Amino acid sequence: MPSKILVVDDDPDLVRALRLRLRANNFDVATATDGYSAISAAQKERPALIILDLGLPVGDGFVVLDRLQNSDILAGIPVIVLSARDPQMNEERALKAGAAAFFQKPADNDELMNVIRANIGPAPEFKQAWPS
Amino acid sequence: MTNPMTSVLLIEDNPGDADLVRLRLVEGHSHVKVNCVSRLADGLAALSRETPSVVLLDLNLPDSKGAETFRRLIEHAPNVPVVVLSGQDDDTLAMKAVHSGVQDYLLKNSLTSKHLERAIGYAVERQALTRALEMAQKQQLEFKNQFLSHVSHELRTPLTCIHQYVTLLLDGLAGPVAPDQSDHLKTILRSVNQLHAMIRDLLEATRAEAGKMRVEPRCISLAELAQQTIAMMRPTANDKGIGLEIGLDQRLPLIFADPDRVLEVMINLVDNAIKFTPHDGSVMLQACMVDSDPGSVYISVTDTGRGINPETKALIFDRLYQDPEASDSSRSGLGLGLYICREIVRLHEGRIWVSSDPGRGSTFSFTLPIYSLAKLLTPAVTYQDQLRPAFSLVRVELTPLSSPPRGNWKETAQQCLDILRRCVYLDKDLVLPPMGASGAAETFFVVASTDLEQCGVMTTRIREQLEKLPDLKAKCTLSIMAAQIELTPPGPDESLEQQVMALADQTTAMIMTSMERKHSIPGKHPQLVN
Repeated sequence: MPSKILVVDDDPDLVRALRLRLRANNFDVATATDGYSAISAAQKERPALIILDLGLPVGDGFVVLDRLQNSDILAGIPVIVLSARDPQMNEERALKAGAAAFFQKPADNDELMNVIRANIGPAPEFKQAWPS
Repeated sequence: MTNPMTSVLLIEDNPGDADLVRLRLVEGHSHVKVNCVSRLADGLAALSRETPSVVLLDLNLPDSKGAETFRRLIEHAPNVPVVVLSGQDDDTLAMKAVHSGVQDYLLKNSLTSKHLERAIGYAVERQALTRALEMAQKQQLEFKNQFLSHVSHELRTPLTCIHQYVTLLLDGLAGPVAPDQSDHLKTILRSVNQLHAMIRDLLEATRAEAGKMRVEPRCISLAELAQQTIAMMRPTANDKGIGLEIGLDQRLPLIFADPDRVLEVMINLVDNAIKFTPHDGSVMLQACMVDSDPGSVYISVTDTGRGINPETKALIFDRLYQDPEASDSSRSGLGLGLYICREIVRLHEGRIWVSSDPGRGSTFSFTLPIYSLAKLLTPAVTYQDQLRPAFSLVRVELTPLSSPPRGNWKETAQQCLDILRRCVYLDKDLVLPPMGASGAAETFFVVASTDLEQCGVMTTRIREQLEKLPDLKAKCTLSIMAAQIELTPPGPDESLEQQVMALADQTTAMIMTSMERKHSIPGKHPQLVN
């Protein structure tokens, strides 16, 4: 079964384009265009990963990150921030707030897909590297 | 006086002169408050307590003489108007005073009440105007910077949309694309990328101007970055039929610099060189050491373009400079690239310059400070003015299980570094700064003032502590190695400084070999812990 990704961005055109691209890469896609519906969509859909914009109406990206981190059920979902904001001012803050990665818009598609794949699904196991 | 309550700080050590000035000041003006001190130090102290309307300053005081007096005063209180009262009719000194920010230079022996009143009035007004102007300029600059960073943010939103849809079409995700349509789309994508680069440069230059550009220095191998630059620029050079060569000194030292930023500078210079070099020309990237300046590495990019004339050379690193002779096709930026390069190099405390032979080509050069291990090592490796008896080098390497790494890799690396610092004796062991490019495998080195046996205790402790980190096993593999640092016994006249230097050289050589070989550490008895 394909993994589900929740795309949160207040620009519906961008959401549509990302949905097309993610589907073409064999992901299921759910979407939300504001902070409040992002949380309810996360609760309902239980996505394997969330792509999150920072500048959102009804609770911005940081509020969403905070709510996710404070939820027992949702805290484990990896979040990739995709924002037009200046990384110098926002990257560290987003990573501290629990994001797995920060991309500034426009992001390179291949890089974004690689980071999505790296953060989805069970962790690869290399037991021999950890002798006990 | 224009101001009904004028407070004057008079700094004058001659009681007779002080009385005379006081008399002139109060003649007919009941609203002047005069505070008189006889030493500069007392004057500065008074200025720290309260701000007078004006300072009247004698230059030859017991604790300060001549130009030094007004320099120190203005440095201490740049916003208070100062009028110099001098016994000397010295035009050069008077000019110097005004240049330094003094409002007026009056001679004591021709002082009249009216004269003094007018001078004070003008000084106060001029100072107020200057301040208002400075404030306005500062506000304007701040506004401009805010505006530019806002604009570059807002421009990204539509640009992202265009970028997404163009790549969607190009990748065939919205249906098949005919070959000529694909060419058109590639043209759009090129323009989108160009626009993206301009927006990035705009924000970067704004940051540089506001002093907010940041660098994250690491200990890096320049050779690796140079090779990366060449690999990245090869396609552009090939497209234009330009030869791209690389020349590196055999023994380049490690440098302490931000790898992303240094790469940015080298790519920018090589890209420029390709842009301004005609078909069949060549571009060469070189890095070397120079005997006369052992603390720096010299990096240069030489092209066979048409060169730069001397007038242009002086301006080329300025913001928004564009070569007026450049054809439209080579003028594809905002003219911020070299300015950004200069600022990056400056933040690394290096220099950047250009030399050129018009008609034959140009060479852009810059320097970066080498990573001086000797300086860092000195306190840890010496004890009672002697080198400690034995040293070991520990290598800790975290290799992410996936590329790119899972989760917040930067934080993982930082946590490991913190743990390393807690596992060593800070007075005799040294955790070196992070090595190599960030974002991939992280390698840390520790120089320990112990023999290999003792060092084993430390590496076990490091492993135990690292294994306590939650999720580390899900993210990466860990390898810890240690080797003895073999030193030839010092000669009888070898100074401590020379011994530390020899240790630093030997350690640096081991680190560099270890970084090149990956996953191993050189040394006579390499010991794999676990």
